[in-house]
Amino acid sequence: MKYVTSYEQAMSPGPKLIYGSLLKADLLVLVKNRRSVVLSILLPMVILFTTHGNKAQQRLGGSLILVGLAITYGLMSTSMLGYTLGVARDRDAGVFQRLRVTPAPTWMIITSRLAIQVVANLVIALLVVIVGASMYHLTLGFGQYVLVLAISILGGALFLSIGLALVGMLKSSDTVNAAGRIVFAALIFLGLFGISGALGGALQFIASWSPVGTVMALFSAAINPAKWAGHDSLSLLVTLAYIVCFAGVGIRWFRWDTH
Amino acid sequence: MTEPQRSGKPLILEVKGLSVAYGTKIAVDEVSLEIERGEIFGLLGPNGAGKTSIMSSIEALIKPRSGQVLIDGIDITDNPQRAKAIMGVQLQATSFQSELTIRQIVSLYSGLYGIRLSRREIDERLEDIGLSNEAGKPFKQLSGGQQQRLALLIAVIHNPVLLLLDEPTSGLDPQSRRQLWGRIEHVRQAGGSILLTTHSMEEAQTVCDRVAIIDHGKLVTCDTPNRIIEKHKDDVRVKNVAHGDVTLEDVFIGLTGSEIRD
Repeated sequence: MKYVTSYEQAMSPGPKLIYGSLLKADLLVLVKNRRSVVLSILLPMVILFTTHGNKAQQRLGGSLILVGLAITYGLMSTSMLGYTLGVARDRDAGVFQRLRVTPAPTWMIITSRLAIQVVANLVIALLVVIVGASMYHLTLGFGQYVLVLAISILGGALFLSIGLALVGMLKSSDTVNAAGRIVFAALIFLGLFGISGALGGALQFIASWSPVGTVMALFSAAINPAKWAGHDSLSLLVTLAYIVCFAGVGIRWFRWDTH
Repeated sequence: MTEPQRSGKPLILEVKGLSVAYGTKIAVDEVSLEIERGEIFGLLGPNGAGKTSIMSSIEALIKPRSGQVLIDGIDITDNPQRAKAIMGVQLQATSFQSELTIRQIVSLYSGLYGIRLSRREIDERLEDIGLSNEAGKPFKQLSGGQQQRLALLIAVIHNPVLLLLDEPTSGLDPQSRRQLWGRIEHVRQAGGSILLTTHSMEEAQTVCDRVAIIDHGKLVTCDTPNRIIEKHKDDVRVKNVAHGDVTLEDVFIGLTGSEIRD
């Protein structure tokens, strides 16, 4: 083994190789966390199958709302329970610090994880919309699929930013785990019971403008763009505002090391 | 404090007037160090003395309040990516992604340093450190000694000019410790310079060419272990703690105090 004698002789790692290595490792981590990915697909499928029937369908607002709800929950599950807990756990273990002492720029370390998560979100959204469309006999064109994928990037970004805000504000991975599950349960509750109006008008209003409500509205509108209304445009703006706020909080207070 | 004699070899690490503060607490206060090519330099100090803060500043993990760190002439603040590319690091608590196998970890980190290694090349490197049978296992399943060997392999995978080791032998059995010392010496013989922190005076005396004792963020003394003993053996604080011949540990305790630090 020969050691370099000056920095001119040292290899200047190319950004392509660095980013490629990070993406490959993050993809492997995601694939090895099969349980989390399977659960993120299973949850929306359970929603689709258990609500398939006239009564439940009508009570929860119709097939478009249900498909939107199912995709939203899939994105929530993979982003908030998969990505967020993974970041908190790796930060606690010192994985990020180890990566940060390499020549890899910090933006690459962050975005490679996000990029892989976005791909996972797209796969989940596509699977759910295909199953949902087939169950509810919805005929979707190419444009609608593209729109659904675009909204799934947006929705995924919203739930990832909520997760980022949690890891930014909370230090310990145990606390992030507990808080993440509470927020996840609250959003599930709002989506399932709030939006339908079953728990009253006030809660319905809160639920429709909550992160889960705005994303659901966008998915429903993406599946049936002909019915795109003012409420949907406003949902888009509110979703963007949520992303900016939560990501801002997460980036502002994020710490690479908890020790 | 008198400046130790220098051999005139090129400087690989220059730490100039480094100060680190966490809020109002000053962790490192105007510390200056120099490490020459092919030198093994030990940083000694009780818990909380500022060793890890100095290491973290050199690794660009924290931003110092003032001072300058140059790695082979490259300013770590101005050009962190370039400086990190010629530096190898083994952190105090090494952790890799728990889902990845040893082979995948080596592949990831070699890529981060710009080296493409084939599966055969990775396996050869793992065989060199006696981990070929563990190539498919996750990091967590390795013993402490195996984890340290892997961490060191990754730290030197790109043949760095400077190797930083933060308490590399803590928690290792004597056999693993001796083996690691051999590997550190091998890095030096191949042209690398090493900065290590340790609580083991035996390690400092056996492995290091020069050592610096840090306490309360300040550099207390810096020289070869023998010269440090010679310089401080008549100090009344050292005499009070010595039993028989003065050792490096006597000097260390004499200069930094006997109270336990947490």
